[in-house]
Formats: sequence, structure tokens, C-alpha cells
Amino acid sequence: MTYYNNAIFTKRELLVRILKLLKKDSLLEEIDRIPLEMRPRTKAPIRCCVHKDRAVIKYKIMALLGYNISDEEDELTPLREYAAEALLQEKITGNFLTVVDEACSSCVKVNYTVSNLCQGCEGRSCQVNCPKDAIQIINGKAFIDHQKCVNCGLCQKACPFHAIAYLPVPCEESCPVNAISKNEYGVEEIDFDKCIHCGKCMNSCPFGAINEKSQILHIYKQIQTKTPTIALVAPAVLGQFKAEAGKILNAISKLGFADVIEVAQGADITTQHETAEWKEKMEAGETFMTTSCCPAYTELTQKHIKGLIPHVSHTPSPMVFTADVAREKYPNAKLVFIGPCLAKRKEAFLNKSVDYVMTAEELGAFFAVEGIDVTQNEALASSAAITPEGRGFAASGGVTAAIESILPEGTNFKAFMVNGLSKKTIKLLKTFPIRPPKANFVEVMACEGGCISGPGIIAPSQMGQANLRKAIDELKEKAIV
Amino acid sequence: MTKPTITIKICCGTMCYIMGGAELHLLKEHLPAHIAPLVKIEGASCLGVCQDDNEDRPPCVMINDELIPNATIQKIITHITKQL
Repeated sequence: MTYYNNAIFTKRELLVRILKLLKKDSLLEEIDRIPLEMRPRTKAPIRCCVHKDRAVIKYKIMALLGYNISDEEDELTPLREYAAEALLQEKITGNFLTVVDEACSSCVKVNYTVSNLCQGCEGRSCQVNCPKDAIQIINGKAFIDHQKCVNCGLCQKACPFHAIAYLPVPCEESCPVNAISKNEYGVEEIDFDKCIHCGKCMNSCPFGAINEKSQILHIYKQIQTKTPTIALVAPAVLGQFKAEAGKILNAISKLGFADVIEVAQGADITTQHETAEWKEKMEAGETFMTTSCCPAYTELTQKHIKGLIPHVSHTPSPMVFTADVAREKYPNAKLVFIGPCLAKRKEAFLNKSVDYVMTAEELGAFFAVEGIDVTQNEALASSAAITPEGRGFAASGGVTAAIESILPEGTNFKAFMVNGLSKKTIKLLKTFPIRPPKANFVEVMACEGGCISGPGIIAPSQMGQANLRKAIDELKEKAIV
Repeated sequence: MTKPTITIKICCGTMCYIMGGAELHLLKEHLPAHIAPLVKIEGASCLGVCQDDNEDRPPCVMINDELIPNATIQKIITHITKQL
């Protein structure tokens, strides 16, 4: 769960400012002013000085324009040049996370520190129990030698005064696959051979140093062209605003999309295929099958648990099926997936099902800039038949519920839920190829709670869940009428 | 029964909403039991704070007739307590 913090608001303010300039058609003229406007001399600096703060803002903008921070060749290159170049490019490339090294505070190397609660006791159990001889007593207080300490934590456990504190490195702690670590300069670096794009590091860093590469510039530009642009809206987005689903969909269409298609429609197709595939696999004598709709999970199997790959369903994700529906209807259109997910950026990049991916957070910024109040607007009637279960995909347990709803009663369907990827749940998943689970269907969601708690959301999880439930119930009521 | 004496209008404009206003809609659940019956919570359309280039930042709420910029649930509760 992510708590609100100012780093998140900085990102949202940047999104709004960039879109505002695009709307005013003065992006190139004014983009280099953003760092100055957001971090004026008159305000107390957040970091060491206002210049550092401005540099951080500059690099965060670079990420939002779609660049890797490491793409920088000359520190003097103004944002104007990056923006001009980005406007000419069709798309962004490669990895979707980038570390702003200026922003990374290079958190502690050693996770344990002796606080001033140290009494300098006779027992000195910290020193006695340290296996690496890393504790010295200087002026009657314990000190940890950073060269020797291996972060085992024994000293903390041994101290009867609770004088030794554990200092986490938030990004490293949150990464479930150990893909982020310090480089030789002490700055965090992401190993993309390991990264599964779950987005946990991005939201956990209190310095906002880890940024996603956005496509807002490209999407804004695309909407202005004559080629129709179609929005594919993930069900989790319907939980992000305090308004009924139809109003949210209408608000999205007002941004200039030629049509708005709910991804729940594709989810219904996924349910059909996934159920058929599960039946087939069970008849063929396989022990279990796992879901495939969470892209962070499928990336996890490819990079870390190869033994699970044969068990992962081959059924394409709801995004892919919805894109098929859209392409059939609008063969020449460009497709924008709108969801709460970072890993979808990677999925779309690999399978090319959609042209662009935008988060709910970015959608919120679009609304703010266009002055669209989601609550004050007409509801758009959904054009296609969508089941409540299709919208239910956005919450953990949703895929399972959808499959159960179409299986005949009495089917031997036993589901197990992996609700959120963490070091602990990954450990469990690693055992499945060797010791199959008791269940014959495993639903895996990288985010605890499901997509509705994804890294790109706006509404607090609890509220998102409640709003999504309403969007699902709307359809149930319709079915009864 | 005591009548609500304090009206809180939470700005529902999109700018406030994305800058942390979404969280404010959970206010009701965070109000202490002795304050809750005295407070009436309403939604309001954009209060205009985000449009000006001043120091006030979204999200904002109105407590009776007083505008509170940069609002958090805690800040709102402190303000209400002061007015009681």
C-alpha cells in the first residue's frame, strides 16, 4: 500500500504543467521554466539548495518526456531540445523505469545504526554477538564499522536497550526480485534482466528518484491528429473517480478520443478462453494452471521462475483481446490503453497490441488540464454487452470469480490466490513447479488487492475498491432489470 | 440530537482530486466520534484555488466560510476542533 507523499504530488504537478504547456502550444518556449517556477528561490529548498531541487525537477521532466536519464550526453542540453526531439518521435523505447541519480539520496549502505539510546553497558551484547567483529566502543558508545558489517541484524536483536535501529532502503526493500541495488557511486540502479516492472520501487522511494517513462506527450499529440484515437479503459480506472462508470467513460471521450472501449469487454473474452484452456489442461492430466493477465507476473516467470512457464495460461490478456475488438472496428486507428499499471507499458511494448499506454494518474492530469469534472457530466451508455465479472478483473479474486461463473456446477475447480508479489509469495511460487499446490487454478496479482491498487492509481485503495464495486453492481442491477 | 454546526465542503474539482483530494473523501471515517455528529460533509465543484497563481495549493476544502488550502484529513480535524 502506498501512502500519499509529496514526491507523488510533484510528479502529478509535473504532468499537469507539461500538459498545460502542450495545450497552450508553448511547450518548447516554456518547458525550461518549470523547474524555476516549481522551485523558486523564495521557498526553503527540499534538498541541499534550490539548484539541486531544480536539477531534480529537470530530470523528472526528462523521464516524463520518455527519456532514460542515462540518455543525457551533455548536461547543458535544455529541456526544450529534449521536448522538440520527443515531439518528432513516434514512441519511446526500451525499459520503462529510470532512476534520477540527482534525486537518489544514496540511502545507507549499512542498515543498522546505533542510536543515542546506547548506554555503553558492561554486557556489550552487541559486540559480543557480532559475527564480523564490526562493533567498536568509542567514548563509551557502540559504533558499527561499515566496512565489516554484513547487515545480519544480530546486534539489534541482542541489545537489551533497543538502542540499535534498522534503517531500510525503501526501494530495495520494496523490490520483490532484488532488481535494484547501489552502483559504485552509491546510487541505485535497476537491473533490467531482473526487473518485472511491478512499480513498487517507484512508489516507495521517498525522494521520488525512480520515475516511469511516460508517453503523455505522444498521446496528446496523437489525439490532435486526424487519425482516430481509441481509448481502451481498464476496469480499475472505473474505481478511480467518485462517479458512475458511464460518466467516467464520457469524460475520457471528451478528451478527444474517437471511441472509448471498456477493457472489461476483452476480459470477458479472456474468461471464455482461459476457462476452455483450463479444462483442456485438466483433461490432459496437468496438475494446475496459473493466470496470465498480470504482466508483472508473466515477466516474473520468464525472468525468475522458468519452471512455472509451462503452467502459465496461454490466453492473451484482456488488453490484447480488447485491442483486437478495436482494430477490427477501426483498422486505421491508434489505440491507447488507460490503466493503473506500469507493467502494461512493457506488455504493450512487446506484443504491440496497443500503440500507447497511459496511467490513471496521467488521465487525471489530462482531466485537470482540460477542466473536465468527471462528476459533472452526462453518463455514456456502454455500447457493448459487458458482464459484471469482466469489470471484476480489476480486483484480486476477480479472474477466479469470472471463471467460476461460467463453469458448470460441480466442476472440480479449486482456486488459490496469490494476492500481491512479495519476496515471501515469490518464494512460495518457486515451490510450485516442484511441489504443485493443492489447488488446480492459481490466480496471481502483482499488486496486493489487484489492479485497483496498481502503481498508477489516484484513489486510495480502499476508495478504489468501493468505487469498483459500485461499477460492478451497476451492471448487476442492469442484468436484473 | 445535536444539529450539525459545521459544514465542510470538499472540492471535487479534478485538480484537487489528483493532488490528494481523493483521500479527503474518506474524511467521514476519520472523524472522532464526538465530532462526527456536528459535522456535515458536502462535495463542492471547483473552488477556484487551482486557477490562481498564488501560494495556495490544492487540495482545498471550505470549513463553514473559511477556505483551507493544502488540506489533509488531520488539518481539517484540527480546524474543526478549534471551532468547537
